This record gives sequence, C-alpha cells and structure tokens, in this order.
Amino acid sequence: MSLLLRAIVAAEDVGAAVDLGLRSVSGTRAAGLASAWDTGRAAGEAELLDHHRVVQAVFERVPCLPARFGSVFADEEALRARLALREADLAAQLIRLGHRCELAITCAWREQDAPTRATIAPARSGRAYLERGLTQLRGERARERRAEAIVARLLSELAIEPACIRHRICPRPAVAVSMSALVTRDAIDELRSRVARLGAQLPDVTTVMQGPWAPYTFAVSE
Amino acid sequence: MAGVPLRRDVVTEQAATLDVPLVELVDRLLNRGVVLTGEVTISVAGVDLIYLGLSVVLSGVDTIRQHGADI
Repeated sequence: MSLLLRAIVAAEDVGAAVDLGLRSVSGTRAAGLASAWDTGRAAGEAELLDHHRVVQAVFERVPCLPARFGSVFADEEALRARLALREADLAAQLIRLGHRCELAITCAWREQDAPTRATIAPARSGRAYLERGLTQLRGERARERRAEAIVARLLSELAIEPACIRHRICPRPAVAVSMSALVTRDAIDELRSRVARLGAQLPDVTTVMQGPWAPYTFAVSE
Repeated sequence: MAGVPLRRDVVTEQAATLDVPLVELVDRLLNRGVVLTGEVTISVAGVDLIYLGLSVVLSGVDTIRQHGADI
C-alpha cells in the first residue's frame, strides 16, 4: 500500500497525531505524516476535502506544514529518502510557520456584470464585435482598479507586515480579491473584527474570512 | 423558480458561505502547501469541473440576486 503525504511536523511531535491513524516517517528533525493510499484510487472533491480535514486535525494538535494534495510514495523508505533531502529546510519552515495559521480573506463581487459566452448574442458586424470586446476590456480594467483599491483598504485596515500577506486580484470572475494572512492565534479575533468592519464599508463586494487553517499559502515548495 | 419568494439576505449568505469559500479552499489544497515530490502525483479527476461547478453555482446565485426578491 502506498502513502499519501498529509503534513510535515517536527520529529518530536509525531506522537501527538497517533490517534489520527496516520503513518509517521521520521527523520532527525522533521517527520512526514501520511495515510495509506491505493495508487489505483481516483481522487475528486471528496478526497480533497478529506485531505483538508486530516491536515486540520494535525494542525489542531501540533505545529505543521500542510502538504499539497497529491504526493504519493511507494512506501516509508521512499518517503524517508525524499524527506531527508529537504529536512533542514522543512525544519526551518516549521520554526517560522508552524505556530502560525492562515486566514483567508475573500472579497466576491456582489454583481456579476460580465455576461457569459452562452448569453452573448452574435455580433451583427465586425465593428460591433470589436466595440463589444473593447467594452468588455474596459470593464475588466475597471474591476482590476477597483480590486486594487480594495486591497489597499485591506492592507491599511489589517496592519499586518507585508511578508505575512499574499494576495491576488480578480483571480476568478466572481472574486475581486483573494488574500491570505499569516497570523498568530491570539490575533484572530481582532483581525476578524477588522475584516468585518471594513467589509461593511465595501458595498460592491461580499467579504468573507475563513480559517484558521494550516499555513498552506506560506509553505515554500521545492 | 418564478413566484417562489427568495429573500436577498438568504441568497447573499449562500454565496458568501458556500461557494466562494469552497473554491478558495480547493485552490489552496491543489496549488499551495509543501511539495515533496513523490513517485506518483495524484491527478484529481475533474479538477476543472470542480472549479467550473462551483463557479456555475455562484453565477447562478448572483443571477438570482440580480432579480431580487421577486424570483
């Protein structure tokens, strides 16, 4: 049976997750926690969300780095060998991130003014086609400018050091801003209040804060 | 759905708490986190469909919202 990597924890913390039914593969400083996985098994939304549940369960017990979903190892030796290659880096990341959590702040447009392709009638002429494209482009640019303004408001309101913030504007048609903040647990309530206060002042977006999650966005990949 | 009363705040709550947040979470699960490259990387069946499905649901909610409480 193969192993699906769930999270990385400090080597001395592997015992804290024993009751989760995970297999642990320890190095000298870091350890991988994994679940048995049938390599022929298909993965879909249910498996993705189950991965999140497992990661969160670990994160509630001990500091951890969440693994990106999908890495399968043939056996414990294969995982141990791969872990050994990055152990110093992972241990350093655990010290930097392990005690902090990620909050996801999302601003979704209240109105979707861009029509879908299915609802667009064929243009009557080439000129009409180009004019419509120009109008659409202007609309997109206006939304990007508005999203940037929202980001500026969020950064000002949250007052978090730049290294602990990641954001994207307009990552999807429905979303103006997708932001991740790396915070300590004792800062969550204050941040939630600030986000709610600012959200009430932004009439064109619905502002949602999720978390605390394990620090997915701030964990550095290979 | 014509004639079925649908309160705006309910629609807003659905959009806010179900669809966008789930897409945000799925995005992190698939694209963030530590990578220790294994022998096999699971391909998630229908990833595009997951994103698309959630987007369609959200678009549907937004369309409903544009029509307000008269839908």
